[in-house]
Amino acid sequence: MEARSSSSAAAVPPPPSIPSSSDQGVWADVSPLLAAACCDLQDGELVHGENFSLFAAMSALEIMDPKMDSGIERSRYNSVEEAIEDGVAPIPLSLDRTLDVQRSIDVMDHLFSCEATWHKGHTLAQTVFTCIYLMRMERTSSHAVLNSFCRILRATCNAVISVVSTARTHEEEDLFTMSFGLPLRDEGDEKCLSILNSVEETISRQLRACKAQALSKKKTLEGLESLQDNPDLEEDYCRALLCRLRFRKHFYHVVMCMRKPHGRGLELARKHVASCLTELNLMLKSREFLKSQSSTTLQQGDGNCTTASGCQPVGFDVSLNSRLLSPTPPRAVKVLSWSDAIRYFERLLHDLDVICTSSLDPVLENVLYFIVQFQKTVPDLVPRAFLQTLLVQDGKLYGEHLFSDVISRALSLPDIIGDKEFQMNEFVVQLGQLVVNLIKILCTNTAWQRRKLGKSLQDWSTISIQLELALKREFGETRNVLQNENMCMRVSKQLLIWTQEHAYWVAFRFLTLGFELDLYSPGEYCMVYWYMYVVLTKLIEKMQLRVLAISETSRRKGKKKKDHSKDSARDITFSSSCLLLQCYLLLSEGLSMMLAVLRNESRSFQLPSIFNTEQERFMQHFDLLLKARVPEHISFYSFKESSSRAGISDLVKYNFFKEIQKIAPSLRGSFASESEKLAEVRRIEQVAEHNRIALNIINQVGAGDPSLRVSFEFTHHPHFAVAVVKRS
Amino acid sequence: MSSAAASAGGGSGSEVSGGTEERGEIAYVSYGGEQHLPLVMSLVDEELSEPYSIFTYRYFVYLWPQLTFLAFDATDGKCVGTVVCKMGEHRGAFRGYIAMLVVLKPYRGRGIATELVTRSIRVMMDSGCEEVTLEAEVTNKGALALYGRLGFIRAKRLYRYYLNGVDAFRLKLLFPRPDPGLPPMMIGNDTDDQKMDSPYL
Repeated sequence: MEARSSSSAAAVPPPPSIPSSSDQGVWADVSPLLAAACCDLQDGELVHGENFSLFAAMSALEIMDPKMDSGIERSRYNSVEEAIEDGVAPIPLSLDRTLDVQRSIDVMDHLFSCEATWHKGHTLAQTVFTCIYLMRMERTSSHAVLNSFCRILRATCNAVISVVSTARTHEEEDLFTMSFGLPLRDEGDEKCLSILNSVEETISRQLRACKAQALSKKKTLEGLESLQDNPDLEEDYCRALLCRLRFRKHFYHVVMCMRKPHGRGLELARKHVASCLTELNLMLKSREFLKSQSSTTLQQGDGNCTTASGCQPVGFDVSLNSRLLSPTPPRAVKVLSWSDAIRYFERLLHDLDVICTSSLDPVLENVLYFIVQFQKTVPDLVPRAFLQTLLVQDGKLYGEHLFSDVISRALSLPDIIGDKEFQMNEFVVQLGQLVVNLIKILCTNTAWQRRKLGKSLQDWSTISIQLELALKREFGETRNVLQNENMCMRVSKQLLIWTQEHAYWVAFRFLTLGFELDLYSPGEYCMVYWYMYVVLTKLIEKMQLRVLAISETSRRKGKKKKDHSKDSARDITFSSSCLLLQCYLLLSEGLSMMLAVLRNESRSFQLPSIFNTEQERFMQHFDLLLKARVPEHISFYSFKESSSRAGISDLVKYNFFKEIQKIAPSLRGSFASESEKLAEVRRIEQVAEHNRIALNIINQVGAGDPSLRVSFEFTHHPHFAVAVVKRS
Repeated sequence: MSSAAASAGGGSGSEVSGGTEERGEIAYVSYGGEQHLPLVMSLVDEELSEPYSIFTYRYFVYLWPQLTFLAFDATDGKCVGTVVCKMGEHRGAFRGYIAMLVVLKPYRGRGIATELVTRSIRVMMDSGCEEVTLEAEVTNKGALALYGRLGFIRAKRLYRYYLNGVDAFRLKLLFPRPDPGLPPMMIGNDTDDQKMDSPYL
């Protein structure tokens, strides 16, 4: 930095804190220089330098401004050691043994709430590691209960970080894996399970003894070390501790099982998920007892308590780690309440359970459906990372199937599964990579996912064009092709159709995610549904072409009889998927046209703006699709052309909503065994029915009637609106 | 640029009734120099969630003073609103950016925010910007409605964009190109063949 002051450094001896000069350089105190420079500066003047522009200056943080300086000294202590010396985290937690157990449970509960808060998007340093016991775990070795709990918690955190880092789905959620040099690992952590098991064993023996004693009405517990000194409370404290320790044990198992390669641990993981849920329930049940025993003043309100008892835990300091954080303005951290943390873990375990039910199906269509279905409930980062690490391991599906094989299976070309030439084909290699990327993108949070999907369209489109060119180059001129070349051409053609189909699939997902992310305003629904309609038309077309090509292949081969049943089962699956898309298409077409009619005849749902027109909005919303030519020959004018001539009579004549009601029964039949798809059909039917009625009313009243008030709501489906008609 | 919140209150434009309270005239002033800086800073610090250092304010008001406007209550000379912007090259496009927009609560619903931001956007358009962007909290209905009326679309959602953990929308306003480009293109015949029975497309 270049100061504009002309005064030179005064020749006073440097203060003792400045190191003496050496070969590497001469140290000098710049305070007088700075002071002189400050005097030279007028109000509003800036220090300016080549590498200190106004832009660079924005990254500067104002030190000691609590809104900006995350390292600001807020703790009473300069170090963890200082806090410990001051008795902030005593071991034992109290000399009164009952209080010691009580406080240990509070520490466990607060850690539990911190862990959930961490999962929800805060740093480890500001959540779990605000616990001084965890920061200096060696101190807890004399306290078996706390030690075993902390050790397995730390090991779990470490394992979860590794899953999330491997998945790298976190892109914008990178706070999660930042560990800022925290003591995350220690020798002996691999023994955390055996340590925990022995503590659990001791306590459960004690619990059994309590029960036996209650039966025999004896006064003392022989031969066993009690947890604390009040025999009346012993049993309840044993229970409260046991469920907390067992939850940790099973949760650790869940994480470890789910990390096993090839999804081999999924079945066992499910059992541990069930056990975790049982222990969570017991933890909830222990709340009443723990509350009744807490003598200290409650934290404000039940909803804010981070412990079951309602007591503030000892051994935490939220500011000690603040200097470990990156030099950005501090993010406010509000630790979840204990009840919310329980709810978080229930939800997490449910999401993990869904992943564990994966049939490890290698059919790409089903894999994509599984992820999309999973994302419907908007799962958090941790379960999404687990799903992704299950799906893509070592560049293979479930760590087992080469993506080239996944593609050949999708083309229904079992002959070329494992075929080296097919695997090495540059297009197949590229497409394999695109599929890996697609799967990974689908596992990210929906906001990020949509952006990534939009960008990936360009890749799908480029490879389609290349395939098409190659196809023309290789086979375009040939008239008399040999049998072998013919096969080669068929594979290429199928590959092309498959690629195009997936480009449209991605485009459709991109467009529908816009609804989930609330990116469209009602004035834009007309164009969005129109574009969805266009994309769906192409998607269905490609899908049908693919099926046609497949049946062509099997016909040529003159398949044996037993294969036919397999084929027809597949055909039914294809036709029901096609029919489902057909329903989406009809809904899109109907909604877009209904909106167009309303715009044309009642001047509602239009977008007046002083700075631009509908055309600019269209170009912005579909920029990525238009650039990737998904589909080709589409522009604002195609939309304008179709929407401007939409009239109520045509809309009524081609009653798209009624059409859906004709298709739905057969779909219900083919999805009879799939409850999720069945529910989807039901939702579609509801949207269709409501819109059919709305359309009737609009038709009766007249779309141009000034008393007509139409609004659109997503009450039955997240992507397809229902028209609500009112008259004023 | 780090995250910037655009908090435009009210948002119902001139239709909101002001009750019986008398409404003073609002005077709009372009940024006039250092004397305006504390006014801008205190308004933004008070109303927006994100912390800004003085360097951030200076970056904007020194480089693009013509894009910063202030609104004063003419009756008592109180500064009641401000807009702070910039413009420059961004990925091959000349783009305007609305960094901060604030109107004091009691003055919202009177179209002051709309007027402030419209003035800035006009200058951007006249300076050759192709588009204008900004971020707004997804929960800030007033700002979203205001920008929607001005022709902005919600282009992206930014997950946990703000320090307080709230998502943002990236809003974008594309200006019409002076050159209409290609002539209107109809859908090719190939598409027409597939859906002959459709009245639509």
